[in-house]
Amino acid sequence: MTPFLTARLRRYICTCSVLCVHLLRVCGSELTFELPDNAKQCFYEDITTGTKCTLEFQVVTGGHYDVDCRLEDPDGAVLYKEMKKHFCFSNEFSTFTHKTVYFDFQVGEDPPLFPNENRVTALTQMESACVSIHEALKSVIDYQTHFRLREAQGRSRAEDLNTRVAFWSIGEAFILLVVSISQVVLLRSFFSDKKTTTTRHSPT
Amino acid sequence: HKPIVICIHIFVSALYFHIGETEKKCFIEEIPDETMIIGNYRTQLYDKQKEEYLPATQGLGMFVEVKDPDEKVILSRQYGSEGRFTFTSHTPGEHQICLHSNSSKFSLFAGGMLRVHLDIQVGEHTNNYAEIAAKDKLTELQLRVRQLVEQVDQIQKEQNYQRYREERFRQTSESTNQRVLWWSIVQTLILVAIGFWQMRHLKSFFEAKKLV
Repeated sequence: MTPFLTARLRRYICTCSVLCVHLLRVCGSELTFELPDNAKQCFYEDITTGTKCTLEFQVVTGGHYDVDCRLEDPDGAVLYKEMKKHFCFSNEFSTFTHKTVYFDFQVGEDPPLFPNENRVTALTQMESACVSIHEALKSVIDYQTHFRLREAQGRSRAEDLNTRVAFWSIGEAFILLVVSISQVVLLRSFFSDKKTTTTRHSPT
Repeated sequence: HKPIVICIHIFVSALYFHIGETEKKCFIEEIPDETMIIGNYRTQLYDKQKEEYLPATQGLGMFVEVKDPDEKVILSRQYGSEGRFTFTSHTPGEHQICLHSNSSKFSLFAGGMLRVHLDIQVGEHTNNYAEIAAKDKLTELQLRVRQLVEQVDQIQKEQNYQRYREERFRQTSESTNQRVLWWSIVQTLILVAIGFWQMRHLKSFFEAKKLV
């Protein structure tokens, strides 16, 4: 059985592949959620043995764009036929940055277009052309998703920078004024004290 | 009753997670406009006697709230222990789908967790091709071509949304650029002005004190 693995990378694609004996006809799950600081979020799925599944995740916003991901198999005590796999995202190492995580968990192959399609008859040329276009378009959509996530990452950083620049300018202007006025006041106070001490000492 | 049967069938193996009694779980979907989203969920409650998760009783339902990118609520409804919610986006952007349980009988949870099976389908995946084939009486080839058309449609919408996002990104970057530029100029002016004021003030002060 594949052991659990810990990953702390910006983007990690882990494939757990066992010999494909049964192909379970299941769709994939694609979700985006917010992971608060010091939190852990787990997702579970029941999968039959021998199904190839792919988990892909990316941290979209927050911190250093790292998150702990653990993918676990159940113990051997569970039933033989059905196996639960669960994966967890943990943000327990960070104290104040909450993160947005996107993940895409594909189990098995995509369901066929026709539920009662018999694979015995070969596809005509048109049909196989349609199938290959379908696969190509699926990868286009996949790339679009990745691009969208990267753009979201960049945009959130840019917006963050924008607000930081605004706050910093205002803060620095305030600091400048306070420091310069207090400099002048302090200098004046030096000379004022000297004057009073000299007047006090002069009679003696 | 047929739709319910289909729902359960789709749910044979969907991703699930655990949710506490007062916990609210939110998911973010960044989608272009005029995109349909269908969400299916199914809940299970832990039965201590049988020590396994069983379908939840009737009293337990989930409250589903969907917010659009402008924080306006576009769907706010309560469903039973199993439900299906659908909405179509009218503005592109990040939509937030939040679920929390409305348990009126707190003893049901008994300190345990509720198991929620969730499946969210976006855009082209919401189409039920078997239904479309039956309704429009399409041959296999026509159905495949229809699927390709839907996919290309989704790609086109996403690219439009991409252009709109890139425009926003560019606006933010240009605004930052402007702010940095103006701030450098203003800071230099402030510094020079303060320098002048300090020297003039101190000079007049020392002249008054007859030190200069």
